[in-house]
Amino acid sequence: MPSLTDLSLEKTVDQVLEKNRSQLLESLKSSFSESQGKLSESLSELEKEYDKIISEGQKEAEKIEKQIVGSSDLEVRNKALLLIEEHTAKVFEKAKDQIQNTKRDSNYSNLISSLITEATEALGISEIIVYTNSKDKEVVQSAISKISGAEFSSEEIDCMGGIKITSKDGSMTFDNTIDARFERMKPLIRKNIAAEFNLGN
Amino acid sequence: MSTKGGVQYSKIAEIKGPLVIVDGVENAAFDELVEIETNEGEKRLGKVLEVGNGKAIVQVFEGTTGLSVSGTNAKFVGKVMEMPVSEQVLGRVFDGLGRPKDGLPDPVASSFLDINGAPMNPEQREYPKDFIQTGVSVIDGMLTLVRGQKLPIFSGSGMSHNILAAQIARQASVVGTSDEFAVVFAAIGVQYSEAEYFRRSLEESGALKRSVLFLNLADDPAIERIITPRVALTVAEYLAYDLGMHVLVILTDMTNYAEALREISAAREEVPGRKGYPGYLYTDLSTIYERAGRLKGKNGSVTQMPILSMPSDDITHPIPDLTGYITEGQIVLGRDLFRQGVYPPVNILMSLSRIMKDGIGDGRTRADHQEVSNQNYDAYSRAQEVRALAGIVGKAGLTDVDLNYMNFGDEFENKFLTQAIDENRTIEETLGLQWSTISNLPKNELTKVKDKFIEQYYKE
Amino acid sequence: MVAQGRIVWVSGPAVRADGMSDAKMYETVSVGDAKLIGEVIRLTGDVAFIQVYESTSGLKPGEPVVGTGNPLSVLLGPGIIGQIYDGIQRPLKDLADKSGSFIGRGITTTPVDMTKKYHFTPTVSVGDEIEPGNIIGTVPESSLIEHKILVPPNHVGGKITKIVSEGDYDLETEIAVVEKDGQTVPLKMYHKWPVRSPRPYLKRYDPTIPLLTGQRVIDTFFPLAKGGTGSIPGAFGTGKTVTLHQIAKWADSQVVVYIGCGERGNEMTEVLVEFPELKDPRTGKPLMDRTVLVANTSNMPVAAREASIYTGVTIAEYYRDMGYDVVLVADSTSRWAEALREMSGRLEEMPAEEGYPSYLASRLAEFYERAGRVRASGSPERDGSVSLVGAVSPSGGDFTEPVTTHTMRFIKTFWALDAKLAYSRHYPSINWMNSYSGYLADIAKWWSENISDDWLKLRGETYGILQREDTLKEIVRLLGPEALPDEEKLILEVARMIKIGILQQNSFDDVDTYCSPEKQFKLMKLLVDFYNQGQQALKDGAALADIRAMPVIASLLKARMEVKDDEMDKLEKIQNEMVEQFKNVTGVKVSN
Repeated sequence: MPSLTDLSLEKTVDQVLEKNRSQLLESLKSSFSESQGKLSESLSELEKEYDKIISEGQKEAEKIEKQIVGSSDLEVRNKALLLIEEHTAKVFEKAKDQIQNTKRDSNYSNLISSLITEATEALGISEIIVYTNSKDKEVVQSAISKISGAEFSSEEIDCMGGIKITSKDGSMTFDNTIDARFERMKPLIRKNIAAEFNLGN
Repeated sequence: MSTKGGVQYSKIAEIKGPLVIVDGVENAAFDELVEIETNEGEKRLGKVLEVGNGKAIVQVFEGTTGLSVSGTNAKFVGKVMEMPVSEQVLGRVFDGLGRPKDGLPDPVASSFLDINGAPMNPEQREYPKDFIQTGVSVIDGMLTLVRGQKLPIFSGSGMSHNILAAQIARQASVVGTSDEFAVVFAAIGVQYSEAEYFRRSLEESGALKRSVLFLNLADDPAIERIITPRVALTVAEYLAYDLGMHVLVILTDMTNYAEALREISAAREEVPGRKGYPGYLYTDLSTIYERAGRLKGKNGSVTQMPILSMPSDDITHPIPDLTGYITEGQIVLGRDLFRQGVYPPVNILMSLSRIMKDGIGDGRTRADHQEVSNQNYDAYSRAQEVRALAGIVGKAGLTDVDLNYMNFGDEFENKFLTQAIDENRTIEETLGLQWSTISNLPKNELTKVKDKFIEQYYKE
Repeated sequence: MVAQGRIVWVSGPAVRADGMSDAKMYETVSVGDAKLIGEVIRLTGDVAFIQVYESTSGLKPGEPVVGTGNPLSVLLGPGIIGQIYDGIQRPLKDLADKSGSFIGRGITTTPVDMTKKYHFTPTVSVGDEIEPGNIIGTVPESSLIEHKILVPPNHVGGKITKIVSEGDYDLETEIAVVEKDGQTVPLKMYHKWPVRSPRPYLKRYDPTIPLLTGQRVIDTFFPLAKGGTGSIPGAFGTGKTVTLHQIAKWADSQVVVYIGCGERGNEMTEVLVEFPELKDPRTGKPLMDRTVLVANTSNMPVAAREASIYTGVTIAEYYRDMGYDVVLVADSTSRWAEALREMSGRLEEMPAEEGYPSYLASRLAEFYERAGRVRASGSPERDGSVSLVGAVSPSGGDFTEPVTTHTMRFIKTFWALDAKLAYSRHYPSINWMNSYSGYLADIAKWWSENISDDWLKLRGETYGILQREDTLKEIVRLLGPEALPDEEKLILEVARMIKIGILQQNSFDDVDTYCSPEKQFKLMKLLVDFYNQGQQALKDGAALADIRAMPVIASLLKARMEVKDDEMDKLEKIQNEMVEQFKNVTGVKVSN
């Protein structure tokens, strides 16, 4: 079950997706017709090949037919895979932009609080040090002021947002930055993007 | 799939063999996936073998070379190892841990499946009974392969097991159906050239687009081999039970798998069983082999053909021995036949297909199939005795019947067994050859076949 | 007070939990958030060592462990026959209903349908005094089994103060109330019994009745008695499972318990598919109506494999107590021993031979000791038996390994499977020189009363021919067969005929799969007659080549497949042809 924070992430991605959908569909269409072209090209190539070897025996010809059709099918498919990946990456980039520029409002404060709670529970201790980036400094500081045992580190980390906490002896870490969550969600989001274009399955 | 994150620990108590022992662990589960990060930021995968009293023993798939006690981090990912699956895995090449190796992106997953699978409920199994025609006479005729069966090839170093397995993968078909067929190939510590032979063979037959390859090659990390058959079978189960395909899984070489298991067991200082292999080798192998089968209410099937090289050609070695207790028969390649240049060099007397009887006979192959096959077994066994006798007393000391058996033996090996690498025989051709061979014997020697079949098929 | 502790350590099927000072040895416990089923197998201070009967993947230290207060038990009552259970008596069908094609975890079920109504006929009345083991009524369970409702062995007994009238009741209905010393105890149609405790009986008999299996090499050469113990060791591919299936199919017992212990999944499926279709040769009813399956296949959790043997034998004893003859087949005891070894290793116990625990022998002895033909406790008087057949899977086919050698100490019939015979497709590949039966003398009386006085003598003669052949084979190996005189060549010839015509049996042939005792005896007599007449013919000057060419030989060898059990007259015909043909071969010689 995706948690609250996962849902808001997904929402962002959906929004970006909405904006990019027509553009994506367009380029997918063109790349598919390109791939189809490639297939018919290789079929005419096959015919030439066919005449050449027909004297060498039907069996051999069938084998090569299978091979050529098989590999052009695969080639078309693999091209589509790369294309989807390319567009997915674009969606991700846009989503990241949007997240980075999210307003640090009360909703965001709630998000930060829940990120800290989740991380603290995972570590199972209350004596912790909390890290974040320069943008979220204030939100985080105000969030941990209510938590006893939590200490704010002035050392900044490089991330889009969110927090990372460690135990005071430094032996345990829980990374709950937006970046880390994004990475964990990526496979699921990719699935959703692909599903938009009816290519996931 | 869980998207929950995991805790990262930096206190490493000990590194030995393929194991990393992490200290101060408060929140880790048995079997959990672990990401190990080295000093240099390199990431490796592992899993929890034992957890408790603040310690976790983690088995690192890519090996511990280069890891140090300080500076190494272990992140417990919060889930067991999973393989992303979808129809897109077809035509793809992955490494031994299921990561893309063909320059293409991760497959867009329709599900994420636990690579360990779950035990099939025996009550839910459908009994295997559909004959798979491989076009190889000795298999179709005497060691019939059935959908959902697990039938290993026991071979020795240098013999033609991969050629045979590739021929089967190319030619296998179920007569009279249009169901989709797929091949999952898992290379476990084999040489590049062997894996490449297989890939090319699939490509040339146009089968690559309905194949999935997992490659852990000889120079890839040894502990990864524990995972390779499991990711391969996870994909096979998905193709079979979710997409309804008939999947032939080839696992080569299971001996390398067992050796990786032994390495881990030794590092854990467990009491060893025979030849240093762990006492649970049988149970462990069964969690791989038992993933073959068919299920009630599902279209597809998983048929397994594991290949293993018997150390010193010894069939009583623990690996072939325990395999044979789990699989439904075995195809044993014989060194003598191989030296004589016979292909496929199948030693039929030591070979067996346990569920052959259910895949053949009237309505499937032909009513006389079982009996003519029994008679060939019987006669070949007798021919071997006669050959041994001839070695003592010379041909002159043999009776006429003995000489008939000698002729039978020669024809059996030269005409029935021997076959070209690209020769695809129909079951009728195969059965015809079986009758030709036993027709070297007088009728009253044919005690395993009913008189009515002798009348119908015996070649005077 | 039930124990409530926390997990401190997990390694495969082994879990340690602390805070368990209230736990008892062999108590079942619920383990972790997933509520997995486990059993306490060692207690040290407040730390309990638990074997878990389900996969422990994902289990974490800190999760709860809760005791149940009860030892691992089976539920005994109507509805067991025809079931397929896992190692701890969970119906696999129910598991499938709850978790689909693959076995899920933390699933609880009842071993039988508690809501199904059975037609109960009381056999006692109000005022009757009852004791433990008494039958208080009957219930039709399957087309073959009338289930006797028993007073549990651990019941105190007393006077019946209430009994329901004949009618349909479910298992939870109080069908009777018993009063003793002012206390009243209700009785239901079922009770529970701890699997590791043998059920009590009144007395034990010597095994004198053969357990007929329809398999010639077993019944004629190495028989098992009702209430006896047998073991069948063999390397893979020697046909162990096929032989066990044959015993389960054709044994003349009323109930069969088949335990698939750490073996192949498809083999259990085969039983499930085949048995309902096969008819019991004596009653014509489906074999499934007398069969209970316990399936804990090799890929199912290893601890439940250890339990499956006890689950099976307790069910077998329960039907014995009703007065039935029960056969229990365990395939394979080696996998059970391996489960013991694995748990012992995780307990870090000092290993004995090949890593097996030092108590392997005593566990095997305890298991085989649960066989026997007995007078059951309670009234009415009735006798029942449990015969135990255990497969052994020796590694590398080596009979000197610990499980085989220890098993041999506790069993009386030993069917040694031989890879060489299997390679030459001699099935069943039971080696006649290495196998033995300790029941031969005990059951000879049955054969002479029911089949023929000559049985033991003929069996001795037939076996004698095989023994002579075994010695002669050495000479042939060195010098070739021509070095032997004709009388000895005839021994080789007849030994070959015995092997093909009697010892070999095709379990996949409709006729040959089961051979009645009468046909077994007659086939044996035919071959012994052939041998004696052949020796006589040689003395009378017949040529061995002419004897070998007698057409009757093919008929003799195919009789096992071509002559049905109800066509014994065909064997008479073969006998007559044989006499005729022997006359001819000697006649030809004389006329020369």
